[in-house]
Amino acid sequence: MKTIKTAAMDADTRAYHERFMRDAIAMAELALKSDETPVGCVFVKDGEIIGRGGNETNRTLNGTRHAEFVAIAGILEKNPMGVLKETDLYVTVEPCVMCASMLRQYGVRAVYFGCWNERFGGTGGVLNIHSDPSVDTPMPVYGGIFREEAIMLLRKFYVQENEKAPEPKQKKTRELKTEIAPTDIHAPKS
Amino acid sequence: MSTPDAAASSIEPLGIVARRGQLLPLKTKDEVRAALETYRVYVVEVPAKHANAVKDVIQAALPDLRTSDFGHLRRVVQFKFLPPHLQKTFSPPSRLPRGDEEEEPNVSEDALAEELDAVRFFLVSPTRYIQHADLLLALRQKPPFDIAAAPPRILYATVPALAPTSAEQAARWSIDYWPIAYKNTNPYGPHPSLVTRNTAEIQDEVGHWLALAKATGGQICGLGLGENIGCVVVDKTSSVSKVIAVTGDCRWRSPTGGPMPKEGHGNVMAHAVERAIAMVAKKRLRVARTDPNLLDRQLFCDSPLTDLERHFFAMDNLLPNGYLCVDLDIYITHEPCVMCSMAILHSRFRRCVIGRRMPLTGGLSADVTIKKDNGGIKPGNGLGHGIFWRPSELNWKFLAWDWVDEDNTDAISSIKDTMHV
Repeated sequence: MKTIKTAAMDADTRAYHERFMRDAIAMAELALKSDETPVGCVFVKDGEIIGRGGNETNRTLNGTRHAEFVAIAGILEKNPMGVLKETDLYVTVEPCVMCASMLRQYGVRAVYFGCWNERFGGTGGVLNIHSDPSVDTPMPVYGGIFREEAIMLLRKFYVQENEKAPEPKQKKTRELKTEIAPTDIHAPKS
Repeated sequence: MSTPDAAASSIEPLGIVARRGQLLPLKTKDEVRAALETYRVYVVEVPAKHANAVKDVIQAALPDLRTSDFGHLRRVVQFKFLPPHLQKTFSPPSRLPRGDEEEEPNVSEDALAEELDAVRFFLVSPTRYIQHADLLLALRQKPPFDIAAAPPRILYATVPALAPTSAEQAARWSIDYWPIAYKNTNPYGPHPSLVTRNTAEIQDEVGHWLALAKATGGQICGLGLGENIGCVVVDKTSSVSKVIAVTGDCRWRSPTGGPMPKEGHGNVMAHAVERAIAMVAKKRLRVARTDPNLLDRQLFCDSPLTDLERHFFAMDNLLPNGYLCVDLDIYITHEPCVMCSMAILHSRFRRCVIGRRMPLTGGLSADVTIKKDNGGIKPGNGLGHGIFWRPSELNWKFLAWDWVDEDNTDAISSIKDTMHV
């Protein structure tokens, strides 16, 4: 199963998904304000947001505290595990290999994301964990909703310093690029 | 105190006996590919004395041929060094112009041996470079085949497409395909000397840590909170190894802390590896005098829950200013699932040892499972992800080994084959 590009959707469907992606972007902006990689997500069941998360890897010193983990930890405090099977994820950046596997193991119904993640994307960016042979059923994935906004958030972060990383790279000379070409980074490879 | 003694003193007071066995380095994704890809080549039988002349003919006929692409294959081979199946196909050699034409043909065994000594089998090129007829034409225009009555014998062989990654593989391929030149390098995975050095560094302790991982998994499984899976995180950067975290699986722990009904895969985020990584992070926060429970959530299950988990979590044995799990090693009773394999990679571990492979769910093995027609999978060797050494695609790599118990105590798994570890 290939990741579907949302550009092909009709206007109404697109508007429905964009509404939730706006909320995911708000979570990414919140993460950026906390000096975290600006990735945010919301989980939606029956048209209602039941969980929100932003990246927390820097503050927790834990490289696995991605937005999806944070949101699901909140959801499962109040809901049974099975609820995730009726839930869709909206996330600003393509889920990484780790998160893609987690989402498929929980049986999340579908994934909608903003920009592709060509460094460790798990749903088409690098690997295809959502559809590769597995003991679990494949998970439908749709990419490209507000892709430019998601990329701009990441760029804003990359011009900041990441104090927690060893031997911080020299970023003072970096400038914030604002042009996004259709074939720019974080675009699907195919 | 030597390191194995340090390892022993970490577990023996806890009543845990080290496992005995052997480490097997896991194959990388590219190594698996290298081991499977082959192509066809032309081989021409030439008089030994004329091997160089034929080489020049080929070079002139195929100017685009890059011999470095098959530098792992011997170019000129004597009959006795051919693999058995090629000896069978290529024998007997035709009478060749050898510069001693006055000699009478002889059919005795000695004569045959002599004849075989006088010929070489020259690897021309992969077959995609030239048509059979064109090759024949090129050869017949120059010595030694321009004066021979019979046309040159153009033969075929199947050869490995990529260089071998170990001396053992080179030896095996020399028998199965074509004589191989091995240069003690590995373009498709960690350099052999790196693997050897790291294997030597950890092998005396592995049995201790896997036994500790097993005991930890057993404790938490006994409480009904998770599957019989455990892991141990070790810092071996100094001469004395330090256990940083030990954790068991916690997928069946409810949000209120007790066991919950076993439906689906349970709480995926509470796998032993995820919990271990979280406990390392908490120790780092503690060392940095920050609240270790910062942004903590019940569902992550990253507080110690058993005697063994508490024993090691209580030790303040991490150096300050460390980053994620850089320089740490992780020992797991079973091959971790795709999520946990990538969590190990994200956390930048240095080395990983698994007590048992999980062909249907494991994320580390690069070997491929056989697909079924209905889209499912049946037991093969693995899912083929190889999430430990894919440097061209993923931004970190680490060394990984499988473990084989000496006495086959691991013949029966403590968990189902379809379980995500």
